[in-house]
Amino acid sequence: MFVVQNRRCQWVLLLTAWLVSPVLADLPPLTHGLTPITEPMDAPALRLTSLDDEIVDLASLRGQVVVVNFWATWCPPCRREMPSLEHLYQQAGDKGVTVLAVNVGEDEDTVFPFLGTVEPSPTFPILFDTDSSVLTQWRVRGLPTTFVVGPNGKLAYQAVGGREFNHPDLIDQLLQLLDK
Amino acid sequence: MLREIPWYLIPVIPFLLWGESALAQTRTVDPETGSVTWETQVHGVTLSLTQILPDQARAFYVNRGLPTTATESYAKSCVYMTVLRNDSAPGVVHFRLSDWSVVSTTGSQPPIGAATWLKRFEADELSQSARIAFRWAQFPPEQAYQPGGDWNQGMLSAGLPPDSEFDLIARLDVAGEPFEGVLKNVRCAK
Repeated sequence: MFVVQNRRCQWVLLLTAWLVSPVLADLPPLTHGLTPITEPMDAPALRLTSLDDEIVDLASLRGQVVVVNFWATWCPPCRREMPSLEHLYQQAGDKGVTVLAVNVGEDEDTVFPFLGTVEPSPTFPILFDTDSSVLTQWRVRGLPTTFVVGPNGKLAYQAVGGREFNHPDLIDQLLQLLDK
Repeated sequence: MLREIPWYLIPVIPFLLWGESALAQTRTVDPETGSVTWETQVHGVTLSLTQILPDQARAFYVNRGLPTTATESYAKSCVYMTVLRNDSAPGVVHFRLSDWSVVSTTGSQPPIGAATWLKRFEADELSQSARIAFRWAQFPPEQAYQPGGDWNQGMLSAGLPPDSEFDLIARLDVAGEPFEGVLKNVRCAK
């Protein structure tokens, strides 16, 4: 369980909430569609340090379905979809679906207190792409962007913009990849 | 793109699309902040602009390490939270921000993109984290949205003084056909 560490962080969170609140108020509901990648290609390399100070390498996750989500704490749709990623992980993690959330350009002092505000708080690996080089390699054009890597290591789906990742249809779509 | 359309239809297209856009446009005011949102939904695509007040833009970027000088010029440049979404278009929606036009009494020019701002900020020596936050909080300079819900939300600078009024012409490529979405009489926050 993450907790807000100090008063400065609390102020940062409050200010951030104030800044995004008018924008969040009018946002449409999140959809749950994933776009198939019609010509599957090998997923680009992804080897980053996690919040737990461990190196996570996508290549070591062959055989699983891996949801790679690029995000930042200041990105309102990223904040909205984060709980659904945790729900997905809780529901499908033991069936072979894992989630890697790649934070772009921020540090542990910013990300850690934010995660304490997410309900349920993420238990999947949070990775740090501090110089945005991985983001560039994955050809991301806007945040959030999410890719689904199949058990064979190839890109299977992508989603630009926030999604409801724990929608039953989306979870079925991911589980079906394990049967292929 | 215009070359793909029969020549005899070209004069008609702006009237059809422009008229449809104007009819679909809505304007709402947030009762708490006073920010105004302009939105149009045409051809299965939603486009909206929500005023970001200069104080909101300042607070957002100062909080992310942008120097005061850089923040100040950006905050006063008529900034909007912009949402573009492919709800039910007949195919992929693609755009380049450099093809869009901000049309005001002073002329017509594209919105000011992230790359232009970052060039202006060169003398301010932004930190890596501030530069990344600025770049990725901006509306993408180019993007493709698949049908069924792809979308982005980001900040867009019209590059006009506070309280200016303008029309935004968003030129899109929808399923391979050129298309214009127009938001008329949009006003910059004071």
